[in-house]
Amino acid sequence: MKRKDFLIATGSGLAVVANTEHVFARALAQTPLPGLPGSSDRCLVLINLFGGNDGLNCVVPHGDARYYQLRPGLAIDRNDVLPIDAHTGFNSAMRTLKSLYDKGVVAVVQGVGYPNPDHSHFRSTEIWQTAAPDRYEHTGWLGRYFDDSSPNVPNLFRGVAISRVLPEVMISQRTDVPAVPALGQYALAADRDAASRDAFAQGSRDRRLPFSSPYLAHVMEVEGNAQRSSEELPRLVAGYRPKASYPATVIGRSLALAAQIIGSKLGTRAIYVEHGSFDTHVNQKVVQTRLLGQFSDAIGAFYQDLAAHGNDRRVLTLTFSEFGRRIEENGSRGTDHGEASPLFLIGGGVKGGLYGTLPDLAATNMGNVRYSVDFRSVYATVLERWLGRPSTAVLGGAFAKLPVLV
Amino acid sequence: MQMAAQTHTDVGGILRPQGHLDVATALAPYEAALGERAAAHLLRRAGFGGTPDDVRRFAAMTAREAVAQLMKFPSAQSIAPPQALADFEQGSYTGKARGREGRRTVVAMQEWWLDRMLSGPAPLQEKMTLYFHGHFTSRATPRFAWITYNQNALFRRYALGNLRELTREVSKDPAMLLYLNGAQNVAAHPNENYARELMELFTLGVDAYGERDVRESARAWTGWQVNRRAGTSAFDASLHDDGQKTFLGRTGNFTGDDIVNLIFEQPQCARFFAASLLNWFVYNDPEPELVERVAAQLRAHDFELSPVVATILRSNVFYSERAYRALVKSPVEFVIGTYKTLGLSSVDAGALPALVQMGQHLFYPPSVAGWPGGQNWITSGTMIARQNFLTQLLGSQTLENSSWLRGLPLSASAAANDVAQRILQGDAAPATLAQLNGYLAGAGTAALAALSTENYDQRIRGAANLAMASPAYQLN
Repeated sequence: MKRKDFLIATGSGLAVVANTEHVFARALAQTPLPGLPGSSDRCLVLINLFGGNDGLNCVVPHGDARYYQLRPGLAIDRNDVLPIDAHTGFNSAMRTLKSLYDKGVVAVVQGVGYPNPDHSHFRSTEIWQTAAPDRYEHTGWLGRYFDDSSPNVPNLFRGVAISRVLPEVMISQRTDVPAVPALGQYALAADRDAASRDAFAQGSRDRRLPFSSPYLAHVMEVEGNAQRSSEELPRLVAGYRPKASYPATVIGRSLALAAQIIGSKLGTRAIYVEHGSFDTHVNQKVVQTRLLGQFSDAIGAFYQDLAAHGNDRRVLTLTFSEFGRRIEENGSRGTDHGEASPLFLIGGGVKGGLYGTLPDLAATNMGNVRYSVDFRSVYATVLERWLGRPSTAVLGGAFAKLPVLV
Repeated sequence: MQMAAQTHTDVGGILRPQGHLDVATALAPYEAALGERAAAHLLRRAGFGGTPDDVRRFAAMTAREAVAQLMKFPSAQSIAPPQALADFEQGSYTGKARGREGRRTVVAMQEWWLDRMLSGPAPLQEKMTLYFHGHFTSRATPRFAWITYNQNALFRRYALGNLRELTREVSKDPAMLLYLNGAQNVAAHPNENYARELMELFTLGVDAYGERDVRESARAWTGWQVNRRAGTSAFDASLHDDGQKTFLGRTGNFTGDDIVNLIFEQPQCARFFAASLLNWFVYNDPEPELVERVAAQLRAHDFELSPVVATILRSNVFYSERAYRALVKSPVEFVIGTYKTLGLSSVDAGALPALVQMGQHLFYPPSVAGWPGGQNWITSGTMIARQNFLTQLLGSQTLENSSWLRGLPLSASAAANDVAQRILQGDAAPATLAQLNGYLAGAGTAALAALSTENYDQRIRGAANLAMASPAYQLN
């Protein structure tokens, strides 16, 4: 298929799977990565698969008889698995991701976790976002990266969270990150009269108030930034035209907006996207299959769009989830909170393949997969080899880098 | 690993006010007459704000009188459920229609609740119902809408009731059994979801128990089943694990009720609720010394909320400068407070979509931990939603019903002062006042005619919008 044909095909909304085959031929041809690590051309997209994605039914150990013994009602049938090798394969819902894997642009890191795993959604999410398993941190690891690499020229869009609540991972001391749930919602209503708009824009920055509040400074800062960024963002990204048909799902829309922001070259270094909930205590097969399919299809459209704009090599996508799930299924066709699980790195600079260790279903930690790769090793790798910053200060220690990036 | 036992779940962005706490006098009664500023503060914290008339009425009272007023609740029996629920039941919908009509019923319940907050007889009762909704979280079950209503009614019934009893009740509540999978928790296959959150988020906090306690508690809770159609729960002994359990250092053939009782014997439990109540009513991240004093009160009153909440709302620390405007308005407080402030007595169609955009969708908390609050409410996205709600409401027909907006003086400076006083109770910065004045006098940069009968309606709406755009208005 020629490039022209490809564009016509996407315009008509053909299946994503078929198109990615051709799009990634370019990546395979080893197009040089843009800039050095840390170049403003490079962006990280962090996807939170929230709720605790069951790793064993996502990256399936189909060669392990124990898996089928422990999950009689829940295991993914051998015939349905999309095999990577004789032992490991993808969940059948992730055809698109598998096709990207086959093109060498997906790294699967298995057994990722941290010492003394916490089974609380809340605390474990916080641990993954702050990269601080052994202390309480108020800033996120990307927030500290923003602070650590403060540019001379302030940029309202160095980080963007595609969510309603600002995730802890992007909370920093000095960098305000806009939380943009959707572009259409990110604009001040225009029907306020012009005079009150003028007055509003000049004023309310007076700090001589007859009270003090621990939240006053934050409110004032965000109010000001919201006003400026909501005026600028829609204008700055208006010229972008997607060249893929995204699935009509939340993750589809979120990644479409991510591609638009990246393609508009605002100097954005990191974008946060969320997808879930993967908290499958009951009826896991139906729920997780649907969610993994939505994730995989949206990623397919995302990289198709990025590639069509020549941006695919600029964008590294990293997934995480607060924990994997218990190896043995529970009585409700589901699984309870567990420990280590796999994560994915996709796109720019990735050396595709399987990393980490196979889940050992015999030597478990109270029925949970033991971790073998510290999640901070993944962050250290991304910080140093992709974002181009020393990782020790940001992570509060030195962690071994993984060979997953070029 | 050095970590103090936590008195609340640390989500980040939760800030303690600066300055020094006088522990010795913190909970002693505040004796002065309230005045408008403290009256407005009490009405915001113990409810959802007051109309200018409410503020004036409470200003003349002492804290003791005012709190006694606020604690008069209608009986649970006297509160009729929203009509939409009966209509939904009457319809006996099935399949897709049931889902659609169920969702419509949930919307009707949301509006019914917002109206109770705004103009019901007991805002504190609704404030506590909202507190419990965020504390003992569950999501709506639209196809079985009564289940959602019944949990809301349970919280209202226990609004100032006994925390231990409420914890036992909510553990067997159908909405909770469905949300945290208690209904799937059976002897043959325990499901730990509820057992974990009961301790972590509802009663003790992290670090106060071990993994084994979670597993043993789950066994004790086995056997509670839900009849969705009837909206009821019942204990099925054949699904219950009848064996010995070892929980928090004690061994016995425990049931769920025993688990709650054992949890409430832990000193940490009173601390956990004390910190949570202080966070809700006074300020965030309260000092451990203050938490300990309130925890002692909870224990002394055997976890009865009424005397403890009364003590908090009458206390010196509650009326201290450190507590004043020390919380961020939640979206519900922002929205309902705005209708109240404007003297409106029912919410309009703009309220619900605005709340969703601001991040507080009633009956759909974002996670089992409820709404994180504090600084987390304020992002650029939610600030835009807040401003857009104001612009929409102040431009709408709804405002015709305002009890006071149409009756202000025509003098620009007098009108500016009135607007600032009624909306901000003296918390306007000099620049905000000057701006309001200039805007109404026509002396601002954008050349405008001075306030007059011709432009009165439009200009007063603009002035109210300006006052509400002040940062103080985001703070509670």
